[in-house]
Amino acid sequence: MKGAQYTAWVPISMKIFADSATAFIAERPDAATRQRAWAAFEAAGLPTTNDEVWRYAPLKDFVLDRFDVPGEPTTRSDSAFAAQLCERAGLVVRVVDGFCVSTGAALEGVEVAVVESSQSLAGTSFTERYESDTFAVLNAALAPATTVIRVGAGVNVEEPIVVLNVSNSTASFSRTQIELGRGASATIVEYFEGGADALVVPLSEYLLGDNASLQLITYQRLDQSAWHVARTTGFVSRDARLRQAVVGIGAHYNRSRNDAEMRGAGSENELRTTFLGSGDQVHDFRTHQMHTGARSRSTLLSKGAVADQSRSVYTGLIEIEKGAKRTDARQTNHNLLLSPQAHADSVPNLDIRENDVMCAHASSVGPLDELQRWYLESRGVGREDAERLMIQGFFYEMLANLPPELAELVERDVTSVLATVNVVTP
Amino acid sequence: MTSTLTIEGLRVEVAGKEVLKGFDLFMSTGEVHVIMGPNGSGKSTLAHALTGHPGYTVLSGSVRIDDVELLNLSPTERARHGLLLAMQQPLEVPGVRPFDLLVAAGVDPTNLRQRMRDEADRVELRPEVLDRFVNVDLSGGERKRAEIVQFGLLRPKFAVLDEIDSGLDVDALGAVARRLSLASSEWECGILAITHFKRLLQELTPTRIHVLSEGRVVASGGPELSEILERDGYEPFRVTSA
Repeated sequence: MKGAQYTAWVPISMKIFADSATAFIAERPDAATRQRAWAAFEAAGLPTTNDEVWRYAPLKDFVLDRFDVPGEPTTRSDSAFAAQLCERAGLVVRVVDGFCVSTGAALEGVEVAVVESSQSLAGTSFTERYESDTFAVLNAALAPATTVIRVGAGVNVEEPIVVLNVSNSTASFSRTQIELGRGASATIVEYFEGGADALVVPLSEYLLGDNASLQLITYQRLDQSAWHVARTTGFVSRDARLRQAVVGIGAHYNRSRNDAEMRGAGSENELRTTFLGSGDQVHDFRTHQMHTGARSRSTLLSKGAVADQSRSVYTGLIEIEKGAKRTDARQTNHNLLLSPQAHADSVPNLDIRENDVMCAHASSVGPLDELQRWYLESRGVGREDAERLMIQGFFYEMLANLPPELAELVERDVTSVLATVNVVTP
Repeated sequence: MTSTLTIEGLRVEVAGKEVLKGFDLFMSTGEVHVIMGPNGSGKSTLAHALTGHPGYTVLSGSVRIDDVELLNLSPTERARHGLLLAMQQPLEVPGVRPFDLLVAAGVDPTNLRQRMRDEADRVELRPEVLDRFVNVDLSGGERKRAEIVQFGLLRPKFAVLDEIDSGLDVDALGAVARRLSLASSEWECGILAITHFKRLLQELTPTRIHVLSEGRVVASGGPELSEILERDGYEPFRVTSA
C-alpha cells in the first residue's frame, strides 16, 4: 500500500520530476528545510491559466515530467559570446545547472561564497517570502545553494562582475544574492545561456546598503525551447541606487518578474526591461515597485518588440505606502508590433496610499514612430534599414548604462539575433 | 558637374490650411541662396515638404534635381538624389547612433569615426556627443552642429538649412557658416538657407536672397536686398491678400 499513498499525493504526470527532486533533496545537508518547501510546492500544485498572473502562459504545453533535477553539474565549454563576455570582466562567477562551480579569481573588496541557506535577504525564509509563487518555492527546495556576492562598504568595483549561468541539463535552479555595503558601487552582469528543452528557474536578490550604487544587467539568451521563470528582488536602502536592465531574447516562455522595495529615504530604482519575441515565443514581464521610503524614486521603462506569432505581456504595479511622502514613481511601457499575427498586452497598475506623491504611467502598443523613421529616411536611410536601426535601438537604449566595451559586445549579439527576425510593418 | 534645383508652383497644405501658395525657386550647385521671411510665411513648410515629412501634403507643383522629379519619390530616394534637410529642431532618435545612421545612409565606413571627429572639430562640437544616440541629451546648439556634421559626411548636392542659426552663439554660427561656405567649394554644394535672422547673411555670402511672404516669393535679388531688409524690415515686401 506504500505506492498507493504516494500516487495520492503526486499526479502521475509529475512522477519523473518528483522522483528526481526528492532524490536531490534527500542528498542535501538541509534536507528538512527543503522538504518543507517541496511540500509547499506539492500542496499548491502547478498554476493554471485560470490564475490571473498565469493567464498568458502557454501552460497547456508545460509538462513537468520532461524535466529532471540534476544531482551535479554537467560540463560543456562556454559559447563564443560567453567567452568574450568573460574577457571583459574583472571577476567571473560560474554557475552550471544551478551549481556554482567557480567563484572566480580574487577581487579586492569583493567576497564570493556558496552557502547552504534558506534565508531570503528580506529577513524571512525563501519559502515564506515567496509562498504565493510556485516556481520561487520550487527554487527554495531545489537550488543547490545560494551564490553570495558581497561588495564591502565603500568599495568601488571598477571592472564588471559577470555571473555566467549555463544550463546544460533539463532543469536548473540557480539562486544568487548580491549585497553591497554602505557606499559601495559595482556593475554586475547576470548572463543566461543554454537551456535546450529545459526548465530554468533563477532567483536573485539584491541588497543595497545606504548610498550604495548597483548597475545590474540581466541578459537572457536561452535556447528558444526553454521555459524560463525568473524572479529578482531589489532591497534599496537610504539614498542607494539600483539601476537594472533586463534583456530577454531566448526561451519558449520567458517569464521575468522584477521587483524592488524602496525602503530607505531617497532610495532610487531605475528598471529597464526589454524583449524581442519571434516564432511562437511568449514574453511575460512583471514588475512591482514598492515605495516605503520618503522621497524615493522609481523609473520603469519597458520596451519590447514582437514579431511572427509571438506574444508579450507587461504587468506592472507601483505601490506607495502611507508615509512615503514626495515619492516619484514613473512607469512607461512601449510595445512594438512587427507582424500582424503578433500581440502585446500592457497592464499598468497603481496602488497609492499617500497623497503627497508624483506618480505617472503611460503605455502604448503600435508600430514604429513615424517621425523618427522619416528623420532617418530623410538622411538617405532605406525604410527597412531605418526600421531595423530603430528596433535595435530599443535594445541599445537598455544597454546605455553599461560600460562601453560591454555594451558594444551585447549590442553586436542583439543585432545578430535581430538580423534573423522577420519584420512586417503595417 | 553642375546640377540644378528647380521648384515650381509648389503648393503645400498643413493641417487643412494652405501655407505655400505657389513657391518658385531655381538654383545651381555651388550657389548660396537665402530665403528670408517673417514668422508664418511658410519657410519651415517649404523645408519639410521638400523632404517628404509625413505631416505636409503637396497639393501641386514640381521639385526637380536636374530632370528628376522628387515629389514622386520617397524621402530616402530624395536624399539619395542629393537633397538634405538640416532641421530647425532636429529630432531625437533614441537607440540609434550617428555612426550607424551614416553607414545605413550609404556613407563609406572607412575611417568614418575619425571623419566624424574632424567634422565635429570644424563646427566646434565636442566629438564625444556623437557617441550618444542621435540628438538625445544634446543642447539646442549641439543638435544644430550635429546636423552639420551629418551634412559634411553625407555631402548632398543641395542642402536645405532650416534656421540653422537659431540657438547658436556668434562664435558657433561663424564656425557653421565657414563650414557651409567651404562645402560649396569642396563639392560644389548648393546651399538653401532659411532664416528670419539677418546675422547669417553676414557670415554666408549669398548668391541670391529671396523674400517669402504669405507662401510666395515676393522679392528676389542680390546681397543688396539684405541692406533693404536691414533698414526697413519686411514691411516693404508685405503683400496683402487681394
